[in-house]
Amino acid sequence: MGQQGLLTTPPAKPNPGLFKRNPPIAGEAEAIERAKNGDADAFSKLYALHKRRVYTLCLRMLGNVSEAEDMTQEAFLHLFRKLGSFRGESAFSTWLHRLTVNLVLMHLRKKGLQLVSLEETINPSEDDAPKRDFGSRDPNLAGSVDRVTLERAVASLPPGYRMVFVLHDVEGFEHNEIATMLECSTGNSKSQLHKARLKLRELLRQPEALPPIEGSKEVAQ
Amino acid sequence: MSDLTNVNFDNMTAAQFEDYLPDLFASGDGKVSHDPRFATFLAKNPDCAALVNDLEAIAEHAKSLFEPTEEPADSVWSNIASKLKGETQDLDEPSGVIEPAAE
Repeated sequence: MGQQGLLTTPPAKPNPGLFKRNPPIAGEAEAIERAKNGDADAFSKLYALHKRRVYTLCLRMLGNVSEAEDMTQEAFLHLFRKLGSFRGESAFSTWLHRLTVNLVLMHLRKKGLQLVSLEETINPSEDDAPKRDFGSRDPNLAGSVDRVTLERAVASLPPGYRMVFVLHDVEGFEHNEIATMLECSTGNSKSQLHKARLKLRELLRQPEALPPIEGSKEVAQ
Repeated sequence: MSDLTNVNFDNMTAAQFEDYLPDLFASGDGKVSHDPRFATFLAKNPDCAALVNDLEAIAEHAKSLFEPTEEPADSVWSNIASKLKGETQDLDEPSGVIEPAAE
């Protein structure tokens, strides 16, 4: 495995703020170091620790089981090749998720979907856009949203909205990070996130109209 | 995006408020309902207050989606192990098969 720079570069001091949502997992640091040295068992442990999060992220971004599995595979193969460059400046999960997001975005661009490559094209059509709607106060969503319904609603979002919502509100990336990944401005990221939440508000008011998610093992909670 | 420096939040319209919302949610802790600058406006505009509450609830509930629920098929690891085996001899085990570790 690539170990370039490992012996000459002192370990960077981690930023505690980066670990809020991704606290270190027991045994992970040791597995990373062993995997960097080509230990197969250690790499399989990293896979076992992170496969669900990586796969779920791919599935949310792509909305397709087969593609999500392919991208999960690609993400871990890429991880294997790039693990030597992980210096611990961010949580390993964050680093792996960023790697995964970039691979998925590259995949989408290769497919010719421009929704993530140009600022204006991540805007959905007028039909998909949320309506300006100040007149309806009821029902209040605060106590009525459950995880399964929200998951369905997110899956129903137009791709551009879904991408920004998943990256910001679910994965916890900052707007400037999303702007870099999606090659758009931070203002556009903020605007798309707001529209995504407005659209979700609309969708969550009619949960019975939401379709089930492909390949999902939905369990009512 | 909006320049909020000289905005009189007490006298803005609902449409102006909605225009400012993306920036308002992106600043601070994203809790517009807790920001004292908007207390008067939201008290006078219950529809806007309801909108803010709903959007904050959605953002809060979204955090619950961070924990994964889906599991990839076993074939994903088989494919990874097979490809890695082709890339490096270091990963060869005596049996020639790399088993996924238990969590």
